[in-house]
Amino acid sequence: MATTADHFQGHVDDHGHADHDHKPAFFARWFMSTNHKDIGTMYLIFAIFAGIIGGAFSGMMRIELAEPGIQYLDTFAKWFGAVNPDFNSSLHVWNVLITAHGLIMVFFMVMPAIIGGFGNWFVPLMIGAPDMAFPRMNNISFWLTVAGFCSLLCSAFVPGGTGLGAGTGWTVYAPLSTTGSPGPAVDFGIFALHLSGAGSIMGAINFITTIFNMRAPGMTMHKMPLFVWSVLVTAFLLLLSLPVLAAAITMLLTDRNFGTTFFDPSGGGDPVLYQHLFWFFGHPEVYIMILPGFGIVSQIISTFSKKPVFGYLGMAYAMVAIGVVGFIVWAHHMYATGMSVNTKMYFTAATMVIAVPTGVKIFSWIATMWGGSIEFKSPMVWAIGFIFLFTVGGVTGVYLANGGIDDVVHDTYFVVAHFHYVLSLGAVTALFAGFYYWFPKMSGRMHSELLAHIHFWIFFVGVNMIFFPMHFLGLQGMPRRYPDYAEAYAHWNKVATDGYMVMAFSLVIWFINIIYAYTAGKKAEANYWGEGATTLEWTLSSPPPFHQFETLPVIEDAGHH
Amino acid sequence: MKSGRFASCVGHVAKALGLSLAIAAASAAAWAQEAAPAAAPAAAAGSYTPMKPTPGIGMPVDGGLGIQTQFSKIGEYGLWMHDVILMPVMVIISVFVLALLLWVIVRYNKRANPVASKTSHNTLIEVVWTLLPVLILVGIAIPSIDLIAKQYKPAPKGALTIKATGNQWFWTYSYPDNGDFEVVSNMLNLPGQPVVNNGVRDVGSKPWDGPSHLEVDNRMVVPVGEPIRLLVTAADVIHSFAVPSLWMKLDGVPGRINEKVLLVEKPGVYYGQCSELCGAKHGYMPIALEALPRDKFNAWVLTHPGGAIDGQKPAAQAAAAPAAEAAPVGEATGEGQGDATAAAAE
Amino acid sequence: MGKQGTMAGTKNHDYHILPPDIVPLATTIGAFVFTSGMVLHMHDMAGGAFVPWLGMAILLASMFAWFSKIVKEAHAGDHTPVVQLHQRYGMITFIASEVMFFVGWFWAFFDFSLFPSTLSEAVGGQWPPKAIEAVMDPFALPLLNTLILLCSGTTVTWAHHSLIHGDREGLKKGLWATILLGLLFSCIQAYEYIHAPFGFGQNTYGSAFYMATGFHGFHVIVGTIMLIVCLKRTYNGDFTPRQHFGFEAAAWYWHFVDVVWLFLFAAIYIWGNWGGVIE
Ligand code: HEA
Ligand code: HEA
Ligand code: CUA
Ligand SMILES: [Cu+2]
Repeated sequence: MATTADHFQGHVDDHGHADHDHKPAFFARWFMSTNHKDIGTMYLIFAIFAGIIGGAFSGMMRIELAEPGIQYLDTFAKWFGAVNPDFNSSLHVWNVLITAHGLIMVFFMVMPAIIGGFGNWFVPLMIGAPDMAFPRMNNISFWLTVAGFCSLLCSAFVPGGTGLGAGTGWTVYAPLSTTGSPGPAVDFGIFALHLSGAGSIMGAINFITTIFNMRAPGMTMHKMPLFVWSVLVTAFLLLLSLPVLAAAITMLLTDRNFGTTFFDPSGGGDPVLYQHLFWFFGHPEVYIMILPGFGIVSQIISTFSKKPVFGYLGMAYAMVAIGVVGFIVWAHHMYATGMSVNTKMYFTAATMVIAVPTGVKIFSWIATMWGGSIEFKSPMVWAIGFIFLFTVGGVTGVYLANGGIDDVVHDTYFVVAHFHYVLSLGAVTALFAGFYYWFPKMSGRMHSELLAHIHFWIFFVGVNMIFFPMHFLGLQGMPRRYPDYAEAYAHWNKVATDGYMVMAFSLVIWFINIIYAYTAGKKAEANYWGEGATTLEWTLSSPPPFHQFETLPVIEDAGHH
Repeated sequence: MKSGRFASCVGHVAKALGLSLAIAAASAAAWAQEAAPAAAPAAAAGSYTPMKPTPGIGMPVDGGLGIQTQFSKIGEYGLWMHDVILMPVMVIISVFVLALLLWVIVRYNKRANPVASKTSHNTLIEVVWTLLPVLILVGIAIPSIDLIAKQYKPAPKGALTIKATGNQWFWTYSYPDNGDFEVVSNMLNLPGQPVVNNGVRDVGSKPWDGPSHLEVDNRMVVPVGEPIRLLVTAADVIHSFAVPSLWMKLDGVPGRINEKVLLVEKPGVYYGQCSELCGAKHGYMPIALEALPRDKFNAWVLTHPGGAIDGQKPAAQAAAAPAAEAAPVGEATGEGQGDATAAAAE
Repeated sequence: MGKQGTMAGTKNHDYHILPPDIVPLATTIGAFVFTSGMVLHMHDMAGGAFVPWLGMAILLASMFAWFSKIVKEAHAGDHTPVVQLHQRYGMITFIASEVMFFVGWFWAFFDFSLFPSTLSEAVGGQWPPKAIEAVMDPFALPLLNTLILLCSGTTVTWAHHSLIHGDREGLKKGLWATILLGLLFSCIQAYEYIHAPFGFGQNTYGSAFYMATGFHGFHVIVGTIMLIVCLKRTYNGDFTPRQHFGFEAAAWYWHFVDVVWLFLFAAIYIWGNWGGVIE
């Protein structure tokens, strides 16, 4: 990408003293923020907080699954405030855990971190804009995410079905979520999605407007860094898919409370309709979680190979293609619901198509490295790890795309393995890559490269130990959303739980690294990665001034890229 | 699960996959022998003793890595697709990407290649890596679509109909072609764990009990070797009728009746589990499907009050019908049936 | 380019950089109190009677504060051409998301009407369902409402043209006419709901009908409020022939609401009632 405004370096010293430009006082700065970087920081802190909770829930799940039988669920039930839980309400805790884990990781960890956090921080910086297009709306996007999270927390402490909390799975399928879950818990959960969904829609509007309208003079669409492209496509996916989810969960709400029968067969309603509506949102949602990761990885691979991204236009339009095709494949989540044979065939074929643009991305990353002069700094190691882990998750996705095969692995741990490879090993790895890439830029302090590498290797071993055996479990038929299982599944579950401990240890190293950076880390220069880092954020000090680009940078027409 | 009897069962299960296959072959042979005398008209009409499952067959294997051994035509086709097409494609692509990554890491690191090239285009290679995946995907799609078509071929006219209904949290199986009696099927209790459904005994308390979490009080019994029209639905929330070794998974959706052919090739007991989140005891509503030769199936039918062998096989019916009146209700089936219904109300 | 040599904090661009603002947080609190209050309300729990109202009040007050600020900023000259362009993009994308929201309701409607349940006694495999003894005559009040909305679409365009040509009187008249037509539409819709020959719940017909038309009605009310605000601003002397995006946004929204109605009318009222007994 020829997006550097080399001559813009001259302004860095301008911003040297911009540092003491009027930052608002504490309350105004953090509770009334209209600054994209501060809002981005809040998103990141929020996401880390939510990630710890969601990760802790998955730890509780893994401990329970370490061996067959029910060992800890009644203890967990008591933690949530149940007095003398009976067997049913203990078992219900399992469903609450997986539901909360799924929702938190998806809506309150990955999305806030990758779009709200990195998107907010770096989209304006990369396109040479002083802030987002709607700074005040940016703020409410963040607070609505927090409000959604609070609503989800509320749900854990009120009745819902056979115990406390919403135990519907993150997919909230009717009629389990309607007639199957009396009590207020599911309503709180639904409103959690309404609130954070409204926030995300406003965020999407903000990003689209910012990217279309606030690019620095000379930065055409075809010169935008790929991270910006990725957020643009993501924003469109959010804008067009979330409202359908909003409609679907509103139907749940009225079925539950106001006597409509959208999903109630006795009134002619159809539970499968809910699934169509949910997955019409749900499938684009999975690309919402991964596309910005693609963008981050593209920046990093290019930076550390010291080469422009290979096949820039192909990379950008591959994301557009993934976004478009992503809207017409949703029913591959529903092969077992009794769809017609022709429908299954269509969705099988359509789903496989997505492997083509995704392959273009994988191969273009490798081609970017090809001929490069690669430096294995921590973000690069994470990014390379991403490419491999995502490929593994991607090919199992293609496996699942086959309706006739998915029928047997659907709702087994094979699916759990697939989506953790693309999420917990894909999206999260991209998050950590982005974190190490930009942390010094955001904080002004260098982290320890050594610790970052150790973090990577232990994490890599740990997550593979957790999730690779899940493929075996799934093929052997272990159903998902089970707190207890047949003896024959014991071996690989034990391995997975051991893997969790390894992975958890790596997160400790990550925290130590953050503490190290703030206490002993070197001050970060403007461009601490050197010649390979060519996008506009590297022309600014680390951290950038409170208001950057008060004079807009001008992008010279490099004539080629 | 700490029960001694069960532990010994697990001991068997723990054997390697190859060993299990050998057992499978042996058991199949045993069945072939048993089936012959059973064909005589004297076949015990109205009697039934549950079959002892073969360890490792129709159930998961400890430490198992792949898909369970298949016992239906469609399952064999699916397994072929898994073994011959999908697994190789997945492995090759993953290894290929890994190899490329390792290659660039070794060849193009800063020390090996101090000066980066500036190449950022190569139309030919971009076309290749677009078209090659397309070809691979077409190669997958053709058999895949064929598999779907075969898998969902409707049952032939006159096929026996069996209806499975998911309930929170047990299955009921009804036999509309056999006098429309209903079997209520509950998971057996796990020793050392709270009672799952009232009135059902502990797993391992009968000699024929299979693995814990999978065995039920009253199995779904089906005739072997003939296509069965399986209807699946649900009474309350969505459940899913899944038996991995028969390549079978079909959601039971309230307000819908889904249909699929079930064809079991070998007599035996095949286990499955509810595969759609249905509330607290989603993990505790397994499916145990016992496939019996037609005459033994008929005899099983006749152990049920109201069970009748209708026009499916006129000869068999003629032989079985008079016997039906005299047939005493089998000890094994009589037990638990009423209790299970009571438990269902829980 | 070149060095400015000026004080830091001087901006040399036309974007709108905003000071810190408490209103977003206040709005969020309003939304959260409202949704939580609704949960209390729906489950007859303590506070269910007033917490939703409290939330609604906070929400409305904050939104009022928010939009007032926007108007003030417009007067202060913060809405430079590029910022106005932002607002256009913002409004278009917002309407796009609204379109998708209605896609959800239409999806439900077409699912029910094209594949009426055969297992449900209330539906009995037909559309309109068995339980629906009578339907509305699409060519009575609904047709009238269609004409009213179409008419209001032209009056809002009249207002717009007048505004562009500096005809303030025409602007006022056009807006008045549009608002009155909007209110008339809502009144007729309310009348229809009250006299409808079928209920809200119990079956898919009532569910799809009331939720789809209800959400449309809600949008009509919101659109009417937007137009009323525009009218008030017109009397205040706001809007110039060159800068009047607040008005344009309201007009776009109004057209969107209009188009949704046409689909509702064609699909739910005419096609969906085909073969039904007209009361
Ligand atoms: C980040 C999230 C993410 C991503 C990116 C993907 C990517 C893909 N997913 Fe996945 N998926 C999920 C998250 C994600 N998924 C989740 C959360 C679920 C479960 C939801 C639930 O039920 O709770 C799920 C479930 C799921 C199912 C349903 C399974 C079931 O419930 O039965 C299916 C079925 O088709 C599927 C398919 C795919 C495909 C084809 C891709 C493709 O996009 C992958 C494309 C990538 C590659 C193929 C690798 C790179 C390509 C090459 C190296 C080129 C060469 C390759 C070939 C020629 C094959 N996914
Ligand atoms: C992004 C999504 C995401 C992530 C990261 C994870 C992470 C993990 N998940 Fe989860 N999982 C889901 C999404 C995710 N999961 C979903 C959608 C389901 C389905 C739910 C359902 O069935 O309804 C599920 C279900 C699920 C199950 C199946 C439960 C069942 O079916 O019964 C299991 C079982 O082991 C599991 C385990 C784990 C583990 C051990 C991790 C570990 O990797 C966790 C360790 C934690 C982290 C790796 C996160 C650390 C990150 C941060 C602290 C923030 C970092 C931020 C910055 C860098 C800015 N998950
Ligand atoms: Cu029944 Cu899960
Ligand atoms: Cu999908």
